[in-house]
Amino acid sequence: MRVTALLALAWVALLAGCSDESRPVLGGDAENGRLLLRQFGCIGCHRIPGVAGATGNVGPPLDGVGRRVYLAGVLPNSPANMMRWIRDPQSFGFETAMPDLQVTESQARDMVAYLQELK
Amino acid sequence: MKKILLTVVALATAAGLAGAAVVYGGFYDISATDQHLAPTYRLLDIAMRRSIKLRAASVTVPSLDTIGALEHGAPLYRDHCAQCHGAPGVAPEPFALGLTPAAANLAHTGRAWPAEEIYWVVRHGIKMTGMPAWEQRLSESELWAVTAFVKKLPELSPPDYRRLVADIPPHDHAHDHGEEPAPQRPDAERGRRIIQQYACVTCHRIPGIVGPNAPVGPPLDGIATRAFIAGALRNEPAHMVRWLRSPQEVTPGSAMPDLGVDERDAHDIAAYLATLK
Ligand code: HEC
Ligand code: HEC
Ligand code: HEC
Repeated sequence: MRVTALLALAWVALLAGCSDESRPVLGGDAENGRLLLRQFGCIGCHRIPGVAGATGNVGPPLDGVGRRVYLAGVLPNSPANMMRWIRDPQSFGFETAMPDLQVTESQARDMVAYLQELK
Repeated sequence: MKKILLTVVALATAAGLAGAAVVYGGFYDISATDQHLAPTYRLLDIAMRRSIKLRAASVTVPSLDTIGALEHGAPLYRDHCAQCHGAPGVAPEPFALGLTPAAANLAHTGRAWPAEEIYWVVRHGIKMTGMPAWEQRLSESELWAVTAFVKKLPELSPPDYRRLVADIPPHDHAHDHGEEPAPQRPDAERGRRIIQQYACVTCHRIPGIVGPNAPVGPPLDGIATRAFIAGALRNEPAHMVRWLRSPQEVTPGSAMPDLGVDERDAHDIAAYLATLK
């Protein structure tokens, strides 16, 4: 009986999860973003769930990056800040090994649409 | 049928006796240096979350935009909460780093929890943790101001926070406690134990360390083979020690605060991290 109650409790809790409150998204095509993450070589430096070959370990893994509080330890994580980071990581006044990959605004938007869904 | 019943009763009695033996025998380790087993932690965490959800359901949230989250909430937060929970770019006080469970990083809570639950916890506290009830200490409007501020925390970069509370001189913990020199041979096992004393798990997922796994900073899975530390230093033992001791010197404005990690602890923690392939 007690075991059943505990299991039930655990089940309810799992269902309830620790879901984030929804945050504004900027639109963008997540599926195209997923392809772009390969084309721009992001996968050489990052582990990214759902993207084939994304096993790089130069920078932090991007699993769960949609829930991460800060980007590069400095920028509060929002879709807009993630776009700024991807487009020009060298522009924030601190040294970082992530290069400027010449990503356009709409390409960045698509990548962000995909990355923000990684919870 | 009767046989099944008897078996069930016998099993239940045995389980009860075993439980009593653990409790009365003093076998359960209540020290704050012994981390919970992962299932125990999970269960307690679930019980806490469900308890809060149930009780917070009846709270009516006022309009948080007009409450003065920044003007009123920030000073309250700095004076009453940052000591234990830290703030963007600010470490908790040394005493708070010894708490088990460690006080959560509220930038993550602010993002993940609805306002009524934060308010409820601030007001009522959490039994058997260090989280005080503030009901008798803060007025109703102050409770909401600090709640609104916690909801704002994830949007504040460390420099934003510093600007907000600029008029109060910052306290430097870095030299608060005794300094032990680098060990002859770093001890990864000691590193695993000592890592709990620095609240690292309130911001990182760290394999082998039980905790909230809050994604404030990057997960440390695979950190042993990562090419760069914080995107700034080539990953080698001396650099890891430097990062652990002085992240603010490496990346000024990083949300990872200087936690006052001494030389010996930094070497041992670095040795543990080097096992996370
Ligand atoms: C040469 C390696 C390299 C490449 C290529 C690269 N990154 Fe990065 N990336 C890094 C490093 C290193 C960091 C850590 C930055 C820091 O903390 O300063 C990082 C950080 C990030 C972050 C923030 C993660 C966090 O936890 O802070 C995101 C998001 C990101 N990169 C996305 C991308 C995307 C999208 C691409 C492809 C357009 C890409 N990266 C290409 C090395 C790279
Ligand atoms: C004496 C230390 C201490 C002080 C001071 C303190 N807290 Fe806490 N707080 C804790 C501990 C310990 C926990 C329980 C561990 C945990 O975070 O789950 C906790 C939990 C919480 C939680 C639940 C977070 C979560 O994700 O589990 C919230 C919200 C919170 N505190 C808000 C506040 C606020 C706001 C203040 C200031 C008014 C404050 N606390 C002051 C120690 C403290
Ligand atoms: C208040 C939150 C916080 C605490 C506490 C904290 N960190 Fe961090 N940590 C971060 C953030 C944010 C970053 C990303 C920093 C950056 O890129 O500038 C980071 C980066 C790191 C990195 C580099 C990760 C990578 O992928 O490059 C390591 C290693 C690390 N922390 C270890 C630790 C250890 C060990 C502790 C405890 C002694 C600790 N951290 C405590 C927030 C924290």
